[in-house]
Amino acid sequence: MNETKTFLRFFTIADFEEEESWLRAQSKSGWRLKRMVPPCFYVFERCSPEDVIYRLDFTNNGEESGYFQLFRDYGWEYIGRCLGWLYFRKPASELDGEQDAEIFSDDRSKLDMVRRVIKTRLLPLTLVFFACVLPNFARSAALSDPFSVSLTVIFAALTLLYLGLIVHCGVKLRRLRKKYGEAQA
Amino acid sequence: MDTRIRRIYSPMTESGFYILFCLQTPQHGYGISQKVKQMTGGELVIGAGTMYGTLSKMEQDGLIAFEREEEKRKLYRITALGQEVLETECRRIERLYKNSKGETVK
Repeated sequence: MNETKTFLRFFTIADFEEEESWLRAQSKSGWRLKRMVPPCFYVFERCSPEDVIYRLDFTNNGEESGYFQLFRDYGWEYIGRCLGWLYFRKPASELDGEQDAEIFSDDRSKLDMVRRVIKTRLLPLTLVFFACVLPNFARSAALSDPFSVSLTVIFAALTLLYLGLIVHCGVKLRRLRKKYGEAQA
Repeated sequence: MDTRIRRIYSPMTESGFYILFCLQTPQHGYGISQKVKQMTGGELVIGAGTMYGTLSKMEQDGLIAFEREEEKRKLYRITALGQEVLETECRRIERLYKNSKGETVK
């Protein structure tokens, strides 16, 4: 029963809900998450198909032993940490009602997590883009020697990548913020 | 009670209210959750992340304080400021309740 597989799958900081569903689907088809390898590798091991709920929390490294004990008390198994995200799971068969499947039970706390992601991930990413990537792209684009040209190509690719990421995450996180913020009426 | 505390905790979320209410006797996170479930007939289940976040915030804001540790579980209890916030909130809810029943509020 030691068969393993490694999956390369990229989820941005705004895709944690999709990531949870994907991990649950893997479990249903008999693959159990063993560990995560940054930035985007997942190691699974063969298991008998089981419906398991996966949940992700995002923290700023502030949690101490009490944090893990609390999640254990609630029946959540801690799998590990990857780039600020903490991975938990609980078999669906052990759920005590529908609400037991959530680690965040109200919109306020969901919103708090989305805000943490924006503050510690999206804002620094945007800052790096405007302070480093974009100025370097502009500078090398202004020069025409062969070295600068190859730099320009690299920075053009980086600029596109950053822009894509920032727009995708920005739009999605805003939508999540609105979803959890407005439900509060 | 300063304006910042008032702005954050009045009104409180339902989870926040029950957590603060339960901490009139020292308790740890999961214990609070069990108690709240029982008090609400299973209607309100406070998730682990919500519980941890609320306890951390309330401790930071001085509404509750760390009491002691029991088998790796941190027990908290309400502070004087927390008690004041709780009583303000209770008065608000009482007024709300009376008005909802069409009773006159003094």
